[in-house]
Amino acid sequence: MPSPSHPPTTQDLLPLTPPVFHILLALADEERHGYGIMQEVARQTGDELQLGPGTLYGCIKRMLAAGLIEESEERPDPGLDDERRRYYRMKPLGERTLRAEAQRLSAAVSAAKSKRILVGGKA
Amino acid sequence: MKPQPFEFLCRAYALSLHAYPRAFRARFGRDMQQVFRDSCRAATRTHAVPQFLFMSIKDLLTTSLRERLAARRDSPAKPLWSALLHHPAFIWMFAIFASLFVSSTVVRAYVIPTGSMERSLRIGDHMLVDRLHSHAVDVHRGDMITFLYPDDRRQTYIKRVIGVPGDRIRLSEKQVIRNGRRLIEPYAQHIASTSNEYRDNFPAPPGPEVFERGRDMLAHHVDAGEVVVPADSYFVLGDNRDESWDSRYWGFVPRENLVGKPWIVFWSYDATTKDMATWNWAHFADLAGHFFTKTRWSRTMLVLRNQPAEEVAP
Repeated sequence: MPSPSHPPTTQDLLPLTPPVFHILLALADEERHGYGIMQEVARQTGDELQLGPGTLYGCIKRMLAAGLIEESEERPDPGLDDERRRYYRMKPLGERTLRAEAQRLSAAVSAAKSKRILVGGKA
Repeated sequence: MKPQPFEFLCRAYALSLHAYPRAFRARFGRDMQQVFRDSCRAATRTHAVPQFLFMSIKDLLTTSLRERLAARRDSPAKPLWSALLHHPAFIWMFAIFASLFVSSTVVRAYVIPTGSMERSLRIGDHMLVDRLHSHAVDVHRGDMITFLYPDDRRQTYIKRVIGVPGDRIRLSEKQVIRNGRRLIEPYAQHIASTSNEYRDNFPAPPGPEVFERGRDMLAHHVDAGEVVVPADSYFVLGDNRDESWDSRYWGFVPRENLVGKPWIVFWSYDATTKDMATWNWAHFADLAGHFFTKTRWSRTMLVLRNQPAEEVAP
């Protein structure tokens, strides 16, 4: 990630690391708190990517600095307990970057399929 | 008694957050503890606690190093070794060496064998004491201190500081009056059903239970019905106020007798005074059979903090 001295663009940020990509993906449909992000990432990846608290908040720190996401309000999660939790949501730069990264990955997958590395699919 | 390793793990995690740089901890520490607690609870439900712990330790070791290096990049004045030396792997290594070589001078482990500080300290609490002579620390009212018992310096006692030099102390119906103001003491407990004039309305004419140093205090340091704490001395009481052998009976603690301040209870085991005072086979067998069930997990890794008393008009 670049230093915050100049506002980063989507191209500066690619490629994303897997945790950053999946955190953005988790925030694509709704705002979530830290544990919510962790659960959603585990669900997306079939428990393949387990983010620990340090990895999660290290990524969040860098993503906040880069302007990909922002802090939302602090409120309790009715599904857990009545403790207040800090929620995060996506910013426009985050959406553009997520889309660009998904396209990049999709192109890479298409290339793999054209070489018959991956069997099946539309390519 | 049901073991509560869950609470213990959360507290251990909160302590281990000190591996991260101060700014990072201040900003995300509380949230990280929440996430840890939530995922620890989930891991307990799915019986995946060992995997969870392995993942958490790995996460802690790698990301704390990463954040320390990042913090150093932001302030290049800090040398690289400083970032590395604060990494938990180094801290643990250092802690082990330190405990081997300097444990007797910097911190020292003690166990509580009697109930004179109940409920603040329980029989079977194993704790580390921050030794005062290793670095000058002020003693404040409300601090717990360990010191060499003046009548027998082979024994180390732990009590709470009620009076510092110059303070005027008396007890009225078990309530401490200090410098004319009544103390509300959240840490003190009163369990005796009968009253005792000397113990509860101190100072009063002493009975045979008062030792020579106590009598000396009553003879030379009482003014207008109050004990006046002399220079370089402390007046101490046990939190289990009705069953405590303290300054009321054997006088002031001279400053030179101070050993240190208790810092952390690193292990608390439900045992008897006899087991804690002398080593015996029965206790060893008990320990082997009941380590997990008789360890008080809620008190293990408990940091002891100063609890100031509130002062109100009498």
